[in-house]
Amino acid sequence: MKHWTKIAAAAAATALIGSAAIAEGLFAPNLSYRTGPFAATGIPLMNGQKDYMAMLNARDGGIGGAPIDFAECETGYSTQKGVECYEKTKGEAIVTQPWSTGITLQVLPKTNVDNIPILAPGYGFSPMMDGKTFQWAFNTPSGYWDGADMIVQYLESQGDLSGKKIAFLHLDHPYGKEPIPIFEQLAAEKGFEFTPIPVGLKEMQNQSAQWLQIRRMRPDNVIMWGWGAMNAGAITEAVKTKYPMDQFIGVWWSGHDADLALVGDAGKGYKSISWSFPNLDAPVMADIKKHVVDAGLSDSNETEMNGVFYARGIIISAILSEGIAAAQAEYGTAEINAEQLRWGLENINMTEERIAELGLDGMVPPFSTSCANHTGHSGGWMLEWNGTGFDKVSDHMTPNVDGYRALAAEKAAEYATANAPWPTNDACDAES
Amino acid sequence: MLADIFINPFIEMFAYPDFLMQVLWEGLVSGILYALIALGFVLIFRSSRIFNFAQGIMVVFAALTLVGLHAFGIPAWISVILTLGVMFGLAVTIERVVLRPLVGQPDIILFMATIGITLFLIGFGETIFGGENKVMITSELGIPTGDTVLEPFGGLLILQHLDITVVVVATLLVGGLIAFLNYTSMGRAIRALGDDHQAALSVGISLQTIWVLVWFIAGIIALVTGIAWGARAGVSFALEVIAYKALPVLMLGGLESITGAIVGGLMIGMLEKLFEIYWGQPLLGGNTETWFAFVLALVVLLFRPQGLFGEKIIERV
Amino acid sequence: MLYRTAGQFKTSYKADQALFPVRQDAILLGIIMVFAWVIFPFTASEFAFQTMLIPVLIYALASMGLNILTGYAGQLSLGTAAFMGVGAYACYKLLTIMPWMNPVVAIFLSGFFSAGIGVVFGIPSLRIKGFYLAIATLAAQFFLVWLFEKWAWLYNYNASGAIQVPNTTTLGTYVTGPLASSMTQYYVVLGIVTVMTILCINLTRGNLGRMWKATRDMDIAAELIGINLMKSKLIAFAISSYIVGVAGALYVFMWKGAAEPNLFDIPLSFEILFIAIIGGLGSILGNFLGAILIVGLPVVLNLLPDALGIPISSALVEHLNIMIVGSLIVFFLIIEPHGLARLWALIREKLIIWPFPH
Repeated sequence: MKHWTKIAAAAAATALIGSAAIAEGLFAPNLSYRTGPFAATGIPLMNGQKDYMAMLNARDGGIGGAPIDFAECETGYSTQKGVECYEKTKGEAIVTQPWSTGITLQVLPKTNVDNIPILAPGYGFSPMMDGKTFQWAFNTPSGYWDGADMIVQYLESQGDLSGKKIAFLHLDHPYGKEPIPIFEQLAAEKGFEFTPIPVGLKEMQNQSAQWLQIRRMRPDNVIMWGWGAMNAGAITEAVKTKYPMDQFIGVWWSGHDADLALVGDAGKGYKSISWSFPNLDAPVMADIKKHVVDAGLSDSNETEMNGVFYARGIIISAILSEGIAAAQAEYGTAEINAEQLRWGLENINMTEERIAELGLDGMVPPFSTSCANHTGHSGGWMLEWNGTGFDKVSDHMTPNVDGYRALAAEKAAEYATANAPWPTNDACDAES
Repeated sequence: MLADIFINPFIEMFAYPDFLMQVLWEGLVSGILYALIALGFVLIFRSSRIFNFAQGIMVVFAALTLVGLHAFGIPAWISVILTLGVMFGLAVTIERVVLRPLVGQPDIILFMATIGITLFLIGFGETIFGGENKVMITSELGIPTGDTVLEPFGGLLILQHLDITVVVVATLLVGGLIAFLNYTSMGRAIRALGDDHQAALSVGISLQTIWVLVWFIAGIIALVTGIAWGARAGVSFALEVIAYKALPVLMLGGLESITGAIVGGLMIGMLEKLFEIYWGQPLLGGNTETWFAFVLALVVLLFRPQGLFGEKIIERV
Repeated sequence: MLYRTAGQFKTSYKADQALFPVRQDAILLGIIMVFAWVIFPFTASEFAFQTMLIPVLIYALASMGLNILTGYAGQLSLGTAAFMGVGAYACYKLLTIMPWMNPVVAIFLSGFFSAGIGVVFGIPSLRIKGFYLAIATLAAQFFLVWLFEKWAWLYNYNASGAIQVPNTTTLGTYVTGPLASSMTQYYVVLGIVTVMTILCINLTRGNLGRMWKATRDMDIAAELIGINLMKSKLIAFAISSYIVGVAGALYVFMWKGAAEPNLFDIPLSFEILFIAIIGGLGSILGNFLGAILIVGLPVVLNLLPDALGIPISSALVEHLNIMIVGSLIVFFLIIEPHGLARLWALIREKLIIWPFPH
């Protein structure tokens, strides 16, 4: 009976040896979720990520000559499965992409011991922007606090905020609570009334109570931090209760084409802040079509590929590949290791020229990272639903990072104390 | 504090009667959907003493099959008929493969087996249909989608045509079901089996046929629930959580009682909404709907251990 | 053959009632102990520690707690995960309020909080029975998870609402937190689980165990022969919740390292119920067998395609995985509704009388 463990251990060993043997080049696993209640939003992202890497492998033979082994390990958004995947892949991997705030929080302290970078683009723990404390974590190109700040900036550009009522509809989960401190800080500064309205994981599809509350308080704006089935639920309820769509703004994870397609024209005017945009004319899309889709390597489909989330998947892989390329240039080897990739991710420089060179025109704003700045604070655009797709309705906005740098440092320090002894990268001080 | 609990909510209710009506209406619609799921549970429980946890996933599975078939280009109504066929096949398979070998096992074993079925159907459904959120084919089925805005007491009351349809269809379905159970020989056989297994068997009622039949009826109810719920928020596996809501409904109403399932569903639907809006959100930070139904059922059970309409539990030594 | 009992005579009642009436049982257990205490920890990889050895023990302990309540005392519970959560949050609060406290002591203490809450939610069992009682435990399940989410004091008001395990030491080595080595954590878990198992075996064989079994088999009859039902049921709730609470504290502090409230949601309760039922209700051994199956199976299934070199997408593996686990649950229920422990008992019986069929 106990021998089961032994068999499993043996199987584990063979599997690890097996994957090591296959993994020539760079092993960059993705802790994907194509199943479970959040699969709806996960699948296009995973497809975008995978297709971009497949395109690099087919077009350029990988990055700097080293092919990318972009294996997926399915988590179903479950923290437990995520940690299992992390343990399974960390031996060979140069990076871990946890794909959920829950998994990120759990893996974060381990990366210091295992020395492996976490890439959590646009999600995870916002104080991760403090690269000095979180040496191994990257939430490039923008964190939730950036998003919150930009949304408030946008609202302010539409009119004075003092005395206004803003409701914050969020998933009752670490992810949904992340931006609350920033909103509260901004509410005090700008004089608007801020009311968080939580949506439980079990209420995602049945939000009538939350929307009744919104109807009762008649807020001037509703900001949404939703995920998975919650987005579709909120958007349909908003249409049902006749909430004016142009006063409804979501974070980047709440701007999924398929969720809005449910309501179609009724959703016109809904906005979402985003650091990525699906520019179908960008050269990268043509390359993906030529090398991946036509070769039958893609799991995606036409509608999905036109959407915001697929494009975001491409951007995420592009960020990773830029990190890899930077590390390869610095260390003069194609086969970089996890530690070298960390340096690479700290030295991404996505200028307009570089973006054009990569064929990503108009798909991501320029940004750069450094030892102390692991986020990049790219800023983004406000996107608006036009009934069939999203349009850019603002210029490139940038977050006012100075407004919460102190708060980030404080929270990071708090985290470090709670997890003492916590190593910090004091080398960063010289630069910042 | 006391005023917030005992006085202010009622003042608000009277001050904005239109809002109160909206709350009650929303509660009624959710309550009907809870009642439908609970009805599927009750039918199966009465005839086989199986506490069928898989009812929730059957809702998802039926809705996915319908949408999936339609995506192949099959006309909507033919898809409905084919989906019913699939649900019948599912009922036969479950009876053959799972239930027949487990006849006579303790309740908890059968309960576990239905959780096994649930897991299997989740994996199976995701393999075939994928995990994306899908749009219910509402207009193709001829379900109206607009809304009617009333202005009672000078306020605002929005009634979705979809919700009205759900109420009407559910009422018809329940009426039909009660007629079926009372006036057809098959229906009487189901009730007989519920009353006394051995007596029913001895007068020549076939256990197997009846089990297939009740699972099929549960499948039909699942399809109706799936269409109704899917039209509100899309069809995805996140729907399976609504199965949990049916549990307190059942306990409150009584495990064997069809009336209980309906009354319990409506009560829980409306009370949880009222509690959430007038007490939960202002005082407790919201989201009380996750547990309110359970606590309510628990309190009722303390006074009536067999639920409101359940059969009195008689214990003999 | 291996289990021949010839030559082993019992000369006293005491010997007849011993824990190991057959010598081979003791030998087998000894071998398993050597594996658990010596061979596994020194041969296992980090992956094996994290996905098999540690979780199997913790799940087995949680299932043991549930088994006391459901398998021995006959009270169905669907709220195990919430009581694990109580243990975990209690342990977190103890260690953050009193950082000097030894983590192992904190883990043992946190069980008491869970026991207290367990008794409160156990009170309805005096009136409600069977599936109806499941509602009381479900109420606990949903209410407590909601409370973990809303009561910010529980997670020290941190923004994310999740708890992070601090680094703590005992005797100069890190026991909890990211700096602790898997081997240390494994030994701590193994030690605690061993102590708890010995305790449970003795409890269930003693006066309390008999009282519980009488309550389970027919509570009215038990009452008639003079068993105080209230005492019997509430003690079962208390002890069960204590064990479950300790398991919950171990779950977060020795394995997960961080927890968010919905970790303790109903899927975890069901997972533990599966372990208890597949392993065998009313059996201590069953919890371990069930845990090995339910925890180990998905891990092995996930590794299989890679190990065999079958190219298959990881999402499909996960789907197949869920399907296989679901089917196997049904399969095991059909072949042996009394669980793996009964299966082992049958095999053992056959071995003892081998080569004769009866």
